[in-house]
Amino acid sequence: MSDILEFEPTAYHVRKSNEGPALDIRNFNLWYGEKQALFDNTLEIQKGQVTALIGPSGCGKSTLLRCLNRMNDLVDGLRIEGQITVDGFDIYGKGVDVIALRKRMGMVFQKPNPFAMTIYDNITYPLRVDGVTKKAILDETVERALRQAALWDEAKDRLNDSALGLSGGQQQRLCIARAVASDPEVLLMDEPCSALDPIATARIEELIDELKGTYSIVMVTHSMAQAARVSDNTAFMYLGRLIEYGDTDTIFTNPKKSRTNDYVTGRFG
Amino acid sequence: MTIINDQRPPASGAAGLAGVAARDTVAPRSRRRYSADLSALGEPALWGFGGALALGIIMIAVFLMAVLYNGATTFWPKPIERVELTDGTVIAGVERRGTIYRPDMATLPEEVRAQVAADDGFAYRTLYQTANFDLYGDDFRWVADFEVADAANPADFYYFERQTWGVFVGRIAGMTIDGQEMAYDPAVLQREQRAARERFREIRNIERREIGGINHLIERERLNQRRAVLRQGEEAAAPVVAASQERIAELQAEFQELQARANEVRAVDRRYTVTLEEVGGRQITPEISQIVRYYPANTIGLLDKVGIYFARWWEFVSAEPREANTQGGVLPAIFGTVAMTLLMVVFVAPFGVITALYLREYARQGRVTSIVRISVNNLAGVPSIVYGVFGLGFFAYAMGGTIDQLFYPEALPNPTFGKGGILWASLTLALLTVPVVIVATEEALSAVPRSMREGSLACGASKWQTIRYVVLPKALPGIMTGMILAMARGAGEVAPLMLVGVVKLAPALPIDGFYPFIHLDRSFMHLGFHIFDVGFQSRNSEAGKPMVFVTTLLLLALIVAMNATAIIIRNRLKRKYATGQF
Repeated sequence: MSDILEFEPTAYHVRKSNEGPALDIRNFNLWYGEKQALFDNTLEIQKGQVTALIGPSGCGKSTLLRCLNRMNDLVDGLRIEGQITVDGFDIYGKGVDVIALRKRMGMVFQKPNPFAMTIYDNITYPLRVDGVTKKAILDETVERALRQAALWDEAKDRLNDSALGLSGGQQQRLCIARAVASDPEVLLMDEPCSALDPIATARIEELIDELKGTYSIVMVTHSMAQAARVSDNTAFMYLGRLIEYGDTDTIFTNPKKSRTNDYVTGRFG
Repeated sequence: MTIINDQRPPASGAAGLAGVAARDTVAPRSRRRYSADLSALGEPALWGFGGALALGIIMIAVFLMAVLYNGATTFWPKPIERVELTDGTVIAGVERRGTIYRPDMATLPEEVRAQVAADDGFAYRTLYQTANFDLYGDDFRWVADFEVADAANPADFYYFERQTWGVFVGRIAGMTIDGQEMAYDPAVLQREQRAARERFREIRNIERREIGGINHLIERERLNQRRAVLRQGEEAAAPVVAASQERIAELQAEFQELQARANEVRAVDRRYTVTLEEVGGRQITPEISQIVRYYPANTIGLLDKVGIYFARWWEFVSAEPREANTQGGVLPAIFGTVAMTLLMVVFVAPFGVITALYLREYARQGRVTSIVRISVNNLAGVPSIVYGVFGLGFFAYAMGGTIDQLFYPEALPNPTFGKGGILWASLTLALLTVPVVIVATEEALSAVPRSMREGSLACGASKWQTIRYVVLPKALPGIMTGMILAMARGAGEVAPLMLVGVVKLAPALPIDGFYPFIHLDRSFMHLGFHIFDVGFQSRNSEAGKPMVFVTTLLLLALIVAMNATAIIIRNRLKRKYATGQF
């Protein structure tokens, strides 16, 4: 079967190209037990761009995001239909190595969730579970990831302190550093700023701006302003359905569907 | 202000301050509103809860105080009283305790009867430890107040603790030093007693350690012969048997030599005796080496009393028991308790944690896991004696019997593992305490936030890596708490042990200098059982009563010490994993 993903087992993998879709979602349906949560979603996530998923609470945007690295596998009674492909391979196909898949998709969660380890150990965690033990590689990765997450200056002198001693915004940037440590292709962000104050939010947004290009970013957000500020493409979802998907400017200024217009102008949601 | 107070927990900073301020201003109004209905305020319930807590604390405190008081005062040297009774008998002893009782009127003499009747038929009596069991056939005597004609504290009465026959109370009539009879001289006796105890230890050392060692070797040779015969047949084993016989003969010669040496020392020892006279005038003449400790109870100074007090404590925790466990120390019991508890933890920790891990992390949650969980919880409620029966039947007889047949056939019909022993006892207790560990571990695992697991999985960690590096470290303090609870339960358990290996007097510790050094098949002593045995099984429960309190105190101290150690380790681990090294 050609759709078995042949991911390389290590965190370091060669990118095939920088063009075309990073993720291709085709006719994707999802049920939690009897209840259908996603209806026939089809969209392409573009490489190197920021894609925002917006919509009112319960519209399925987080569910869709968590399907991209198969985090939903943990949920009992989950059933899916349709395809999500990476480089032409179906990630829900038979014999897919989920662990290898997740190594290609860094994920940042709603609430900062650093492990109860040192800052250094947090960032090297994805590498160490991969079996990387060379100190030089680990050191290099820590510096690169922390620089990418704009945390290097603040954390370089306390790498061996517990990560739990950082502030909320720093913790979230540490989680971003951890997500980019294994040099993934896609960064999935599930409302990364919802637990942060405006200043920390602004820093994270700056960061997203810097990271795009290097990584394809999919972010779920509740804040339309944020989506308008940082994303290149925006998908508006409502009750499990993709209502409209397109260029962020178009969605916010000249949407085709009236419901999108109502939502982005704040008339409902 | 009020809105802030209602919606946000007054956790920190401004919100907290606002909350406090708001409550201060709001409180009078709300009190007025509820003043009509007391139950709405919940105040009666509050008193009830507080009262229940106070009652529990008071009961525990009273129990601890009783144990502490009785345990701490037992070893304090007390004066000897010489009491003349109205019927002419004279007794001497140490006052133990007194009670009010209702004497049998019919047996009382005329003049006493009126006096007792005036007190509503009650009288007061005192229990004296008259000791001298070898002469009286009893250690204690009740003396009613109305029987006493005269009481005094004579200066020449001594309190002797003897190696055998327990305590002697009386005077020193004379002594024989190196065969020479002479009058009592305190300085000489003191010197000679020390020398005699040295001789006593020497004899014991020869008999216990050296002769014991030779006996052990002879037994091993005998078993070697049997094994050779069993494996190779009578004829083929003949050379082995012959060599072994030769070796046994050598050992026997050595044995004779040691025996002779012991007898020599003993002969010397017999030339040093002391003549003791009880209050009635009867005399005994034991060897000086029999006297463990002696002191003039009525003239001794405070400093010497303190010295004796601590010497007795030291003897208690460092020596072997004497006199059916009512005197001497409890070192073998301390050792047995600690060794068994630690062994139990070694068994229960991996077993319980692995079970809980599977149940919580891997097993599909459903009807089957619910049933398993309920069963595990119910196991904690099974009477512990049932575990004892199971341990005896399954571990000792079934497993131990099989082990004997496979590995120790030469010793049969004497069982090696096929009887109670420290291994089976700790396995039985492990079984008894495993529900505690499972429940605590499951709780700890389920308390690890989902976001932690997801964070790890999203990093590309496998399920096992997530459990190993993120979930387990986070759950470890909780798991340790379960372990501490299990340890406390196990160390204090007695009933099942009585069936699977605890004895009142163990001939040898489970660890000694003979190969293979750790003898898991051996029976052992246990503080909990010691309490039961001394208090309720000895020939004279009155003699053992003080030991019950002291042993209880020691057992409590031991459990507290073990738990404290575990808690310290837990906190260390908490700190260590908070800074997380792989």
